[in-house]
Amino acid sequence: MIECANLVKEFKEGRIRAVDGLTLSIKKGEIYALIGANGSGKTTTVNMMTGALAPTSGRISVLGVEMPEGKNLVSGRIGVAPQEYSLYSDLTLEQNAGFFAKLYGMDFKRFRARFEELNGILRLEGREHSLVSNLSGGMKRRASIECALLHEPEVVFFDEATVGIDPVLRAFLWDYFRSLRSNGLTILLTSHVMDEASKADRIGLVRAGKLVDQGEPETLMARHGVNSIEEVFLKLSGKEIADA
Amino acid sequence: MPRAGGFSIRRSAAVAERVLVQIRRDRRTLGMLFAMPAVIMLIFGFALGGQVSNVPILVDNQDAGYLANLGVTGTPVYAGSHILASLQTDSAVSVRAGSFESGKQGVDSGAYFAAVLIPSNFSKVAFMQTQGRNVSASIQLYIDGTKPSIVATVLGAIQNAVQNSSRVKGFNLVQQYAYGGKFSGLDVSLPSVIAFVLTFLVLLISLLTVSRETTSGTLPRLYTTPLTAVERLVGYTLSLLVVSIMMVVVVLVVGIGLFGAVVRGDPLLLFGAALLYALSQVLLAVFLSNFARNEFQAVQLAPLIALPSMALSGMLVPIFSLPGWIQPISKVIPMYYANQLFEGIMLKGYGAGTVAFDFLVVVAIAVLFLLLAMTTVKDRMDA
Repeated sequence: MIECANLVKEFKEGRIRAVDGLTLSIKKGEIYALIGANGSGKTTTVNMMTGALAPTSGRISVLGVEMPEGKNLVSGRIGVAPQEYSLYSDLTLEQNAGFFAKLYGMDFKRFRARFEELNGILRLEGREHSLVSNLSGGMKRRASIECALLHEPEVVFFDEATVGIDPVLRAFLWDYFRSLRSNGLTILLTSHVMDEASKADRIGLVRAGKLVDQGEPETLMARHGVNSIEEVFLKLSGKEIADA
Repeated sequence: MPRAGGFSIRRSAAVAERVLVQIRRDRRTLGMLFAMPAVIMLIFGFALGGQVSNVPILVDNQDAGYLANLGVTGTPVYAGSHILASLQTDSAVSVRAGSFESGKQGVDSGAYFAAVLIPSNFSKVAFMQTQGRNVSASIQLYIDGTKPSIVATVLGAIQNAVQNSSRVKGFNLVQQYAYGGKFSGLDVSLPSVIAFVLTFLVLLISLLTVSRETTSGTLPRLYTTPLTAVERLVGYTLSLLVVSIMMVVVVLVVGIGLFGAVVRGDPLLLFGAALLYALSQVLLAVFLSNFARNEFQAVQLAPLIALPSMALSGMLVPIFSLPGWIQPISKVIPMYYANQLFEGIMLKGYGAGTVAFDFLVVVAIAVLFLLLAMTTVKDRMDA
């Protein structure tokens, strides 16, 4: 579903290597969490997967299509909720959702049905006509997720999607993500909150643009002899620091 | 330590220091801060430095001369030739000889600014005047009244030429204005004011609107959707076209309705020309916004284009009065063609056929900006 091989992304004429030889494979219907500290290259990786950035070297394919060359072939089948809300703050929630629905070619009837369904799931009822600038941080995050899911994509990318959402709603969202997965949706999410990632099917730990380990949460914890993903991350980070 | 409630120059200085650091960090803005005043001062200096000169006029000297019988030897009088010679040495005008009728046609088509006819009996009448006879020598003038400063220059040049010809004590200038009469200062200013307002405001609003996508952080998300870069450009252009229609309507309603601007031509043609020109400015803004990283950079581009356009498009100084090396630059400034169009339709009453060339040039400019915008637009964050 998503394949990356030796993915490298450099900025400032090679002075900054944000992603450094990353290789991973995500299966259909899987929730894969890319976790790492801020600045470890998670967002850059997502941007390359969604076609917003071109890799310096290496290759990526999403839904069997090479990116970014085949972006136009898959952009209608993927959904993206970026780290920044990326909504028009001077438009209402409905106007924002309506705009993205049109970009994805949805007709009005289908849009209305999906919009109402997602408003219920994401607890945004009654805020349809609120300007996005007047929504709380958590609501903006949910609105961004709503715009990513409107067109029923096959793959969604949630970049730090659950940051700023209260624990109750976060737990609810995870249940929702799992229900989407059972319907065949593939989810790649990034997070710097380690305990959150343990709810994913598989985890990839990223450090300085490199994938330092990956696997199912229980497998990772067992492999490193610890009881939490945070400890796995700290252990790997400590090892890296000791190695450096 | 200053109290939180009192005035602290240190806190003000901290704000000033922070703003200066931000400006210093934005290299394009820093460059503009030095380049913009220098470029604009240079352009205005060159454009306004000279005086009205080289006004193209045609002189038809039909004066047959007069052999005055003064004693033993006659003294031939060729007053018309004196006047023509004097005009030819005057840098205020650029004189071509020809028939008065062809000169009038040239004035109507914009090739000449005035046509002058010195009649065949001019010297004779002038001589009779010197003898105290109650007659008055006449010169016929057919002149474009759309630029009062140039009218004054031409009248002054003729006055000087006649005075330099010592044989003529006085003359009667029979003036006929092209395009149906003399215009007020407001009448002649409004076409270029409309062009300037559209240049400046359409550019400014368009640059701000398009660059907002960059600063709001929504652009990276759009890169991941099926929206193509060209579709996005067309979308911006369509929305700004609607904004432009409103601006054109306001400008024309205020100009014509409130100030009573003369519109001798077809108002619909004027509206179409104004809208076409506004579209060319929208497309210029869409093209330029591909290079602006923030609204601050984008906003600076509007005066950087509008002010030199004002100086070089003929709005302030007639093109033929600009230094020779600047004149070709004027012809590549879109506002020059807007001035030609608006002045032609409003003051001269030109129809679609007469303004077709300027119309097509603006269409070509719009297409050029569209192509430039399409070839420079980004479809990825790192493109």
